[in-house]
Amino acid sequence: MKPAPTLLSTAFLHPAGQALPGPLLALRKQRGAALVDMPLPTRKTENWKYSSKYLKLTDEMATSLPTDGKTGSALAVPGYKVVFINGVMVPEASEYPDLNNILIQRFGDLSDAEASELAERLDTTLDTKAVQFAGLNSARFEDGLVIRLKPDAVLDQPLFIIHEVTADASGSAFPRIFVDAGRNSQITLVEEYISSGQEAVFVNSVTEFTLAEGANVTNIRLSMGGENVQHIGATGVTQQRSSRFQSHCVGFGGPLRRHDLQVRLEGEGAECKLNGVVVTQGTQHYDNHTTIEHIAAHCDSEETYRNIAADKSHAVFNGRIHIHQDAQKSNANMNNKNLLLSTGAEIDTKPELEIYADDVKCAHGATIGQLDEESLFYLVSRGISRREANVLLTMAFINELVAQIPVDAVKDTVQTRLNQFFDQAFQEA
Amino acid sequence: MLSIKNLHASVGGKEILKGINLEIKAGEVHAIMGPNGSGKSTLSQVLAGNDAFEVTSGEVTLNGDNLLEKETEERAREGVFLAFQYPVEIPGVSNLQFMRTSVNAMRHHRGEPEMNAAEFMKLAREVSKQVDLDPAFLKRGVNEGFSGGEKKRNEIMQALLLQPKLAILDETDSGLDIDALKVVSDGVNALRAKDRAILMVTHYQRLLDHIVPDYVHVLADGKIVKSGGRELALELEARGYAWLGIKDEATAASSAN
Repeated sequence: MKPAPTLLSTAFLHPAGQALPGPLLALRKQRGAALVDMPLPTRKTENWKYSSKYLKLTDEMATSLPTDGKTGSALAVPGYKVVFINGVMVPEASEYPDLNNILIQRFGDLSDAEASELAERLDTTLDTKAVQFAGLNSARFEDGLVIRLKPDAVLDQPLFIIHEVTADASGSAFPRIFVDAGRNSQITLVEEYISSGQEAVFVNSVTEFTLAEGANVTNIRLSMGGENVQHIGATGVTQQRSSRFQSHCVGFGGPLRRHDLQVRLEGEGAECKLNGVVVTQGTQHYDNHTTIEHIAAHCDSEETYRNIAADKSHAVFNGRIHIHQDAQKSNANMNNKNLLLSTGAEIDTKPELEIYADDVKCAHGATIGQLDEESLFYLVSRGISRREANVLLTMAFINELVAQIPVDAVKDTVQTRLNQFFDQAFQEA
Repeated sequence: MLSIKNLHASVGGKEILKGINLEIKAGEVHAIMGPNGSGKSTLSQVLAGNDAFEVTSGEVTLNGDNLLEKETEERAREGVFLAFQYPVEIPGVSNLQFMRTSVNAMRHHRGEPEMNAAEFMKLAREVSKQVDLDPAFLKRGVNEGFSGGEKKRNEIMQALLLQPKLAILDETDSGLDIDALKVVSDGVNALRAKDRAILMVTHYQRLLDHIVPDYVHVLADGKIVKSGGRELALELEARGYAWLGIKDEATAASSAN
């Protein structure tokens, strides 16, 4: 007899925060009802095969983290920013553009009509069967931001969205962002996930982008939560004709880190470029699952992911490209390289191509290796210390991707975190 | 300066060096010649500290210090430089960054202040001219996509930057056309100094037309079988290794052609 599956505890199905417009409350309720009896992923769940053992949700973590009187860390972020603490926006810490062609609204400030329209569109960018936890976010979000760019609107500098959890007690947070990029509009959105405090917490975030014809969106996502934070996040993207989406995901490991990124190329001539860097150490985990759906013809996708795993850590990459029957002249390129810095580290990588059109260019490659002994010897034979040689070669593995991050302040943040990683990973003998 | 006594070394349990004895004084240029497989490159690698080779007995001192107990990077900081026969390509690390890190590691060891990027750039441009290497090569990955000749010039450039006490040149002439050979030889000759020793490892004597050695040693089957002056190289050129009773497959093959 098959053992009964472990279900998501019903403790997780009680949303907090009722100050939302009716249509969003109704959506939440409906999504919550769908999650009753949701089995938690196990080793047998294909898309959680390598990661289910890291998911350790307890009922103490089911309660929403308190949001009153939380101001978060002082963040020196240049330019526009929106600060979310424990899934709820903090207006006094935020500073965003006051423009008539770019509207940034909290869910709670939407009229019933606007909320009703939004409720129709939430979750539509994601395959919620494959990304089960996006549904949990929809059942639990307490606040959220909808960013609307009118046609031709251009945001002149990056908008930072800082998602912080203050883990003074166990609990969870469900931040939600929806970006509606109108025709030929442009925006660079930086999401930073950080934490303070030490108690075990769960972050379940969802960010969605819809790109109208000719829209140009750059999304930088930094996952930098602490060792007490289990984070399951999803990003969904739909792209209409000739739109361009660029993603730079930089992730540092944790007890559980999962990011699903799904892009749907729905209009001809749309292109996406997905870059990813993951570093893990200690007993950390990080799992990236990406899916690119080539639905329309003449679309380009380019994906480059690098994982670096030290000590006894574990990184996972699963990249799926699905070329639909009508998507002729698709051009898809996926490349995943992995670096193991220790014999105790583990990396699992799985490129998946599903091609139903006959006139396409599709390439993929995945490699796993260690630092090259010959290169190390060459460097130390020039007086360079082993530590420095290790750092140079490890940086060489991801330099190209870090250099492509289009916001200098973010590049600096990433480099600082990488230096901390190197300090731990390569201690001077 | 360099003293090698009864050096034995093996790789994968197979003995390659079978008792090398060699004394090199400051200011001298020594050439080690020998057929393929005689142990020339192994000697270079062992001196530089490649731990793929196991030293089973013997002694090597540099200015009286035991070299064999030092790590590769310590040897380098104390003045040992190996110009590699096959310099490795390292994409993602720029040549400039690599060389500056190296120069600063040496300066740090000597208690000198580090050179900043601008200072180093100026120095590197000057030295790159000396080996006729376009400064554009500084911005590329270390040896990335370099031709054989460019790699060798890049090695000599590093020697000129680092000003070692002992420069070991492993088959620095291999793969060079006559113009590149001239440039590389000029670079090596510029390294000649009364406080520096140079050990050249080569299969052919043509390099020695450009860099005239003080002493020539013939290495065969892991031992130095004959030593002499410059004239020994010329004699080898004229008579081949067989003259010394050494089997040289490469030479035999090339003369058969």
